[in-house]
Amino acid sequence: MEVTFDKYSLMVDGKRIFIKSGAFHYFRTPGADMARDRFLKMKAGGYNTVDIYFNWNYHSPKQGEYDFSGIKDVRKVLQEAKKAGLFVIARPGPFINAEVNAGGLPFWLLKAEDVIPRNRIGTEYKYSPKYMEYIAEWYDQIIPIIKDFDNVILFQIENEYATDTMEEDYMRQLYKMARDRGITCPIFHNDAYFAGLWADCVDIYALDLYPYINPNQNWKEESYCFDTLDNVEDIFRCAKEDSPPFIAEMQSGWFDKWDGSGYKHIRDSLGDEHINIMTKTALSQGVTIFNHYLAVGGTNWADLACDEVYTSYEFTAPIDEFGVPQSNFYKAKEINYFLDSFDFTKTEPKDFNFSKENIYVKMRHDLNNDCDWLFLRNMNSETAEIDLPFNKTVKLKPYDMKICPINLKLKGCEIEFSDTEIFTRLQNENEEAIFFISDDNSNIYLCDGSVISGAQKDYANYTYQKDGKTTQIIFLTKKLADKSWFLGDRMIFNADYVLPNSAVAVEKNTEIAYFDLKYKFGKKSCIISEFDKNQDSEELKIDEVQFCAPEIDIDYDYSNWKKVKGKTDAFSCDIYDEFIWYKAKIPNNITEITLSARHLFAMYINGKEIINRNSYKLEKLQEVPETISVPLNEKILTKDMNELTILVQNLGFDKGFSGDTNSPRGLVFFETTPNIPVEFYVCDKLAPERSKKYESDNPYLAKITAHFDVDIKDNVFFAKYISFENFRCRRATIFLNGVKIGRYIKRRHVQEKFYLINEFLKPHNKLEIVVWEKERNVKSAWGFKSDLKNVKILLGTFKICQLFK
Amino acid sequence: MAIVPEFLIRKIYQKGSLKKLDNGASIVLKNVLGPGQISGFNYVKINGVVFESKDVKFITNGVEYTADDVSEENPIIFRLGQSGTLVMTGKECLAEGKNEIYIEALNPEAGIVQLKAEDVV
Repeated sequence: MEVTFDKYSLMVDGKRIFIKSGAFHYFRTPGADMARDRFLKMKAGGYNTVDIYFNWNYHSPKQGEYDFSGIKDVRKVLQEAKKAGLFVIARPGPFINAEVNAGGLPFWLLKAEDVIPRNRIGTEYKYSPKYMEYIAEWYDQIIPIIKDFDNVILFQIENEYATDTMEEDYMRQLYKMARDRGITCPIFHNDAYFAGLWADCVDIYALDLYPYINPNQNWKEESYCFDTLDNVEDIFRCAKEDSPPFIAEMQSGWFDKWDGSGYKHIRDSLGDEHINIMTKTALSQGVTIFNHYLAVGGTNWADLACDEVYTSYEFTAPIDEFGVPQSNFYKAKEINYFLDSFDFTKTEPKDFNFSKENIYVKMRHDLNNDCDWLFLRNMNSETAEIDLPFNKTVKLKPYDMKICPINLKLKGCEIEFSDTEIFTRLQNENEEAIFFISDDNSNIYLCDGSVISGAQKDYANYTYQKDGKTTQIIFLTKKLADKSWFLGDRMIFNADYVLPNSAVAVEKNTEIAYFDLKYKFGKKSCIISEFDKNQDSEELKIDEVQFCAPEIDIDYDYSNWKKVKGKTDAFSCDIYDEFIWYKAKIPNNITEITLSARHLFAMYINGKEIINRNSYKLEKLQEVPETISVPLNEKILTKDMNELTILVQNLGFDKGFSGDTNSPRGLVFFETTPNIPVEFYVCDKLAPERSKKYESDNPYLAKITAHFDVDIKDNVFFAKYISFENFRCRRATIFLNGVKIGRYIKRRHVQEKFYLINEFLKPHNKLEIVVWEKERNVKSAWGFKSDLKNVKILLGTFKICQLFK
Repeated sequence: MAIVPEFLIRKIYQKGSLKKLDNGASIVLKNVLGPGQISGFNYVKINGVVFESKDVKFITNGVEYTADDVSEENPIIFRLGQSGTLVMTGKECLAEGKNEIYIEALNPEAGIVQLKAEDVV
């Protein structure tokens, strides 16, 4: 496959292609089966490309060691993309950000000698030959896989990179390294500053755009938030005149943070208006390659997350974390289908003299279809009546945006102007069916003077003939359009989604309708038989509660743990797990311990909790280090030599966009008064993760175990979750069949539902929840155990659909 | 580490805009980066003379903002292409020839944004 480009668009084997891409994180949606499910839904929604970050850290636990097996087999992910008929935008970093742990840089790299991650300290450029050597090691692993797939059409180097002095050596070397390893498609960088950065070092200039990054503000009241997007064509042309306008990350959602406002708030705030405005404004600016970031939400299972984000990385994406299409998916689908209907790859801006407050207007001339397209956007809180200079008035709802054809020649008629929007088109040489979305306040004006009102019922249709050719105009209400699917040569109606092989998914008994140009309309009944239609949540029976932190017990044998030489932080100890245990002996003459640990920690002496706190804090995107002094006395230090245990929970390393990926974690500072050397031993993971024998006497960490069955069938899509009800514990770590799938931490906003990732589900499942509680909440060991036995854990279903072929 | 690299921030300063005022100075900032917000000015330093936030006002789109008017909850909207004049009063600060200017502003998302510039009157 040969990929070329000019100032308008990408060309694949000489044919212009409009790239409608969506980003997908295979590491957050693990396994080929889940990738297939999401890719097929993307394809059904009209995307023709999937954007994939390759996460170096996910594959490389140690220098020289790479794991591409099992669920980490990216070759299988790429095969699924190819089978789904999607092109791929490959983004192997080395740095990816993506709110992943250390921005995707491997932990071993961050502590390696002579390595300066990303060749910069702060924003100061500092070239590190050793860092480049290690990138070569990563590229030697990942590029041979990527280049085996001819559907890879674009390749990105680095991500959102800048330094104060903008030396080009690093970027040019990355470019050369990719080419030397056989990458033949165009190479780009993703400029987060939309300032034309690195345009001369790459083939195609690309940027990212996120007008909404503060969920506390209402984007609808801030029309200025689209300023950059409204002028983005100029930015592209100034940066690189001869490459197609390419938004490598175009906002389709946003991530929530610890103490954030919650995904429901973000989804409600963005609605489907935001993706509509983003995408249509991009089209109005001549963009022919866009990538909705993200198209598919994911889960921060295991230790994937950077410290900023919690388990759900739902991102309010069109396809949510659980694989369920949301309202912004249907809006994206409308636009994608429209782009499939009329070749939009070669347009030029056209002067259009019009100005009205909070109304964005842009005209483009379409060189392929020999017509004009008028883009209208209303940022007023009221419906706007827009009187256009050619004697047409458009009524536009608040925060709505439309693409209106002008002088659009069809097979059987010509549209003079329409503010009823086109949904999609089926066509052959002599015949076409154009589907419009009904809209009471709109009209289709034909060149013969006739007017068709946009206020129409489902399937209302009008036929026009000219020179032996036919155009049928068919209306769909928005409700039906959401459930209508374009499959190239046919339409399918009333389905929750369809697969490229025409299999339809429905969640209840449904009458599916079909339409094609040859047989017109047909119907088929889909009667659900494969699952119990009553999908109410059920309470799980708790089988067992065990105390599970023998490390805290007196006389615990830690002689086989690693002895700390020097500093105690995670890098110095070479331990990167979420949980790090520290054990030491301290004499009884100590009057105070001063310590700082990231992010949550507890200190126990002789089996008793002395302090337990959450020191995770962010202020103005800067982490606030927290050092605390704990006074000790003879009531605590009861022996000549006392057993000190510290447990630290590391919520992840910095993602590296505005902070340093190698900011330390674990026990970052420890000092006694009087100051004496303390010999620490360290170990990672919770005891149930490390061994089968873990029962303990102390009640601080307890494990709840429950079992449940799931009916897994090939022709049924389902997404299940567990939720806690009246859960009083402050922290919990959730394991499904031995895989860590979630972190529960009680904060201002709490994630209460956790996705039971399909890849890890089996017919018979074991759920283990390790609770880490503060002493003051543990009245007595017996009472605490009893409380935990009565914890309500609900097993629920987000969505279930049966597939019919 | 600042989110936006220094060389980009510097573009906001309008070269040649430094003016002498009675007992102070003024400069012009123009947002050439993208839609933004200013939630305050920590201080402005010209040739080592520090103007605290109370001695700094920002005039944009005909509105005069003082330190009391602006906060993280109530930021100044500073649109792409928009200009504003930063006025520092209460002290003499300008020198013959080159003047060193340092501004520490606040942005609700990025936190502290530092701008260094040099200019002549």
